Amino acid sequence: MSAWQILANEAPRFFTWWNMLFLGQAVLNTLVASVVGCAIGYALGFGLATLRLPQVMPLAAVRTVAVLWVEAFRRIPFLVLLLLVFFVSQALRLEAPLWAIAVTAVAIRMSALAAENVRAGYESVRPQQWEAALTMNIPALAALRRVVLPQSWRVILPPSIVHVLSMVKETSLVSQIGFIEITFAAKMLTQRGFSAMLTYGTALVLYFCVSWALASLARAAERRLVARPVLTIPTP
Amino acid sequence: MTLQYGQVLHYLPDLLLGAGMALWIALVAFAGGLLIGLAGAAVLTQGSLWARIPVLGYVRFFTYTPQLVQIFFLFFALPEFGVILSPITAVLIGMTLNAGAYLTEIERAGFASVPQAELDAAETLGFSRPQTVWYVIAPHVVRTLYPSLSNHYIIMTLGTSMAAIFGVEELTGRALNANAISFRSVEIFSITALIYIALTIIASVLLWGLGRWLFRVKARVF
Repeated sequence: MSAWQILANEAPRFFTWWNMLFLGQAVLNTLVASVVGCAIGYALGFGLATLRLPQVMPLAAVRTVAVLWVEAFRRIPFLVLLLLVFFVSQALRLEAPLWAIAVTAVAIRMSALAAENVRAGYESVRPQQWEAALTMNIPALAALRRVVLPQSWRVILPPSIVHVLSMVKETSLVSQIGFIEITFAAKMLTQRGFSAMLTYGTALVLYFCVSWALASLARAAERRLVARPVLTIPTP
Repeated sequence: MTLQYGQVLHYLPDLLLGAGMALWIALVAFAGGLLIGLAGAAVLTQGSLWARIPVLGYVRFFTYTPQLVQIFFLFFALPEFGVILSPITAVLIGMTLNAGAYLTEIERAGFASVPQAELDAAETLGFSRPQTVWYVIAPHVVRTLYPSLSNHYIIMTLGTSMAAIFGVEELTGRALNANAISFRSVEIFSITALIYIALTIIASVLLWGLGRWLFRVKARVF
C-alpha cells in the first residue's frame, strides 16, 4: 500500500471533531507559553536594558551583571536552558507544573533577546535628547519614560513581534519535557497509530498559520511605525 | 540541593568532543545553506515571477515552521515513502534546508544593498560584467553580509543542540547520556551551558577577527 493510500485511509479517522479539539488546545498551549513567556521576558528585558544605561544606573557592578546576564543567556541553546530550568526546579523540589517550566524557560531566553532589542531602541535616540533632558533637571527615569522611550518604540516594537514568532517555533522543544503543545500533540497522535506524515504535516501547517499571522502583524506594525523598513528575519 | 561538580568533571573531555561535533554539524549545514541561499537569492532578485513563487514558498515554509518539526517530518514521515534516513543524515538535511531558507533572505538583502549609482558609475567607466561583479558588487555584498552570515552560523551552532533529540551524540546528546549515567543533572547541564557560552564567544571572536583581516568588516559579531 503506497503512502498516499495510507493517507487517504486515515484522513477521515484523523480529522475528527475530538482530534481537532485536541489540536486546538495544543495551539492554545503553544500560544500561551510563548506569549506569556515573551511578555514576562520583555518586562525583564526592559529592566536589564535600563540597568545597562549609565544615566540611570551609576553603579558599574550592576551594569556589568546586566551585561553578563544578557551575554550568557543568549548564548545557551533553548533546549539546554529548558532542561536546566527543569532539573533545577526538580532539585529544589518546587513541584512546578510543566507550563510554568515552559514559561520560565521562554521568559529567561526572551529577557536576553529583549534586552538587546530594547538597547537598540534606546541607542536609536540621539544622545543629545538625553543631555537636554538631564540638563533641564528631569530625573533620569522620568527622562527615560517621557523623552527616550516614546522615540524608541518604532525600533523596539516590530522585532518584538518577530521574537514572539521565533518563540512560537522554539516552544516546539518544550515537547521534550511533555508539555502538550503542537509538537507534543502531534507526537501523541503518532503514537496512537496515525501516520507520521499526517500528524507532523498537520503540525507544520498549524505552525505555519500561527507564524504567518504573527508575521503579518509584525509587517503591519512596521508599516505604521517605521517609514524606513528595517530587515526583520525571524531566528530559527 | 547540594551540587557536586567533582563527580561529573571526568565527563568534560567527552563533552568537549561533542562541542567539536556541534561546530562540525553547523559548518556542514551552513555551507550547504550558503549555496542554496545564493541560488535562492539570485532567483529572487533576477528571476521571473514563475521562478520566484516556488523559491518564496520554500523560504516562507522553512522560516515559519520550527526546525525541530521539519526534522521530525524527515525522520518519521519519509519512511512511509520508503526513504529511511539515519539520525545524523536527517539532522543535516533538515538543518541545511532550514539554513538555505534563512540565508536566501539574508543574501537577498545583501544583493539589494548595492547602490544603483555605483552600478551606473561602473557602466559609465566601461567595466565589463565580470569586472562589475568583482570590483563593485562583491565588496558591497561581502561587507554587508559578513556580520549577518557570521551571526547565523553562531545561531546555527546553538541550533545543533536539537540533534540530541534524534540521538546524535553532539554536545547536548552527550550531556543527556552523561545525565542518564550519573543523575547529576544540574551539574551536567550547567557545565554544558557554560561550554556553549564559551564556544560561541570563541566563534564570535574568531569570526570578528577573520572579518577584519579578510574584508575589513568592523561590525561586531553576535
